[in-house]
Amino acid sequence: MLAIARSELIQIFRNRLVLVTSLIMPVVVSAFFIYRRDAFATLGSLGYIAAIIMVTVGAFGLYTSAVTTLASRRQNLFLKRLRSTAAGDGSILAGLLLPVTVLALVQITAILTVFGVVGGEPGNLAVLAVAVLATMAMMVGLALATAGVTTSPEHAQVTTLPVSLGVIAVASWVGISGTENLTLLKRLLPGGAATELVVDTWNGAGPSLVLLAPTLAWVVVAVSLAARLFRWEPRR
Amino acid sequence: MSTPVIEVEGLNLTYGDFPAVKDLSFEVRPGELYALLGTNGAGKTSTLETIEGHRDPTSGRVRVFGHSPRDRAAVRPRMGIMLQESGFSPDLTVRESVGLIGQLTRRTDDVGRVLDVAGLTGKAGTRVSQLSGGEKRRLDFATAVYGTPELLILDEPTTGLDIQSRDALWQSVDRLRENGSTIVLTTHYLEEAQQRADRIGLMHQGVLHREGTVGELTRTLPSVIRFALPAGAPIPPLRVDHLDGAATVETFDLQKDLYLLLGWAQDNGVELRDLSAGPTRLDDVFRAINA
Repeated sequence: MLAIARSELIQIFRNRLVLVTSLIMPVVVSAFFIYRRDAFATLGSLGYIAAIIMVTVGAFGLYTSAVTTLASRRQNLFLKRLRSTAAGDGSILAGLLLPVTVLALVQITAILTVFGVVGGEPGNLAVLAVAVLATMAMMVGLALATAGVTTSPEHAQVTTLPVSLGVIAVASWVGISGTENLTLLKRLLPGGAATELVVDTWNGAGPSLVLLAPTLAWVVVAVSLAARLFRWEPRR
Repeated sequence: MSTPVIEVEGLNLTYGDFPAVKDLSFEVRPGELYALLGTNGAGKTSTLETIEGHRDPTSGRVRVFGHSPRDRAAVRPRMGIMLQESGFSPDLTVRESVGLIGQLTRRTDDVGRVLDVAGLTGKAGTRVSQLSGGEKRRLDFATAVYGTPELLILDEPTTGLDIQSRDALWQSVDRLRENGSTIVLTTHYLEEAQQRADRIGLMHQGVLHREGTVGELTRTLPSVIRFALPAGAPIPPLRVDHLDGAATVETFDLQKDLYLLLGWAQDNGVELRDLSAGPTRLDDVFRAINA
């Protein structure tokens, strides 16, 4: 697994396209939100900015990169090559996704640290960390499922849009309008409950860990979808 | 007799309604070079992919070293696979690719040695995206022979290789065979199979059409003497077929009939131009499948 992860890391840094979408883009968006934090805090709250940073990195740094990576490794038969060795399927997938996942977590940690320094600390760090981890698990699961219906890295630019734009839209909706109205719907949408949890935690309101349940349920849904949709070889 | 390295029993593979492989049974014994040959669409690649564990049989049983080919931890450290299509990451270098795939086979070897065997030492630092088709083929070979596996699967190994690379590849295969490795080969270059295979399985439309040594396969067809007769020459003492200006004699007793023909030519002062004589080639066995 670590050998595959190491080679993936090399490939990420050699391939500028992946580097730009997975690293630069989320950083630019996050920097904008932090720079105009007063305006966004008036619109929603400081917690809303934290939530947007989390889902932006999750959607582009992690989800889109993961789908693109898996589609590209399948298209050029690298997956088949890896499966011709003694490595098991689980360790192949783990190896392929470990670098983008770790990079996304490092990114979120770094950006939220900067945000915490300039905008004020979050209420509960431990809950924030759990919320971020659950959201990233959901994004990895959704990436595996999406990779199943994606035929090429170019195709990934289309297939990833519903989920990546969707979770950002949900996070914005929940972050700005709160969950007083349409509570159940907002919490059940992917990223909705996670956003509420991050917003509450960051703003210092007593967060409810029950809010983790919808996110974890999405992990289960995504993984079972992936089990049915994921393909190791290109369609002929 | 020792246990076979590969056992295929009653293998059926179906795509939708199309039966790609029908009730196929054969085995590959330790140390032999078994060539699985066939026309396009004969089911070779499907069979090979089942042996490689990339495809599940629709029915039937396949065993590699007595294990299911899907049991990667048990089987793969002992087998090297050269796939028909490369499948390397374009952004990794040759050295990195061999190192990664080699390490994942769980065999041990020196990357430099393997690159040398595959003739890729000069390309060690080159990215895969910069390689020619032949170089990619050699990279494929390098990962397959990493750690000198007991079983080597070569799926059209020399397609796209120039003659020097092809000779070098076969030299490396010969060295593996001296170490006792078992080889399974598919190829469209029949002379490679004819020269090297201990046994040949000839597939046609999903079934094993014939199986045996090269001699056993070719012996059923007559040897051929070919020559051109000058105008006005007397009639030879043999049954001669005339095809495209060339005279051909088909015989199951090459030595006797050739002696007869040469004696006749000498006695009559006839010059047999473009004279050639030889046993049936594997090509002819192939052509006879469809005849």
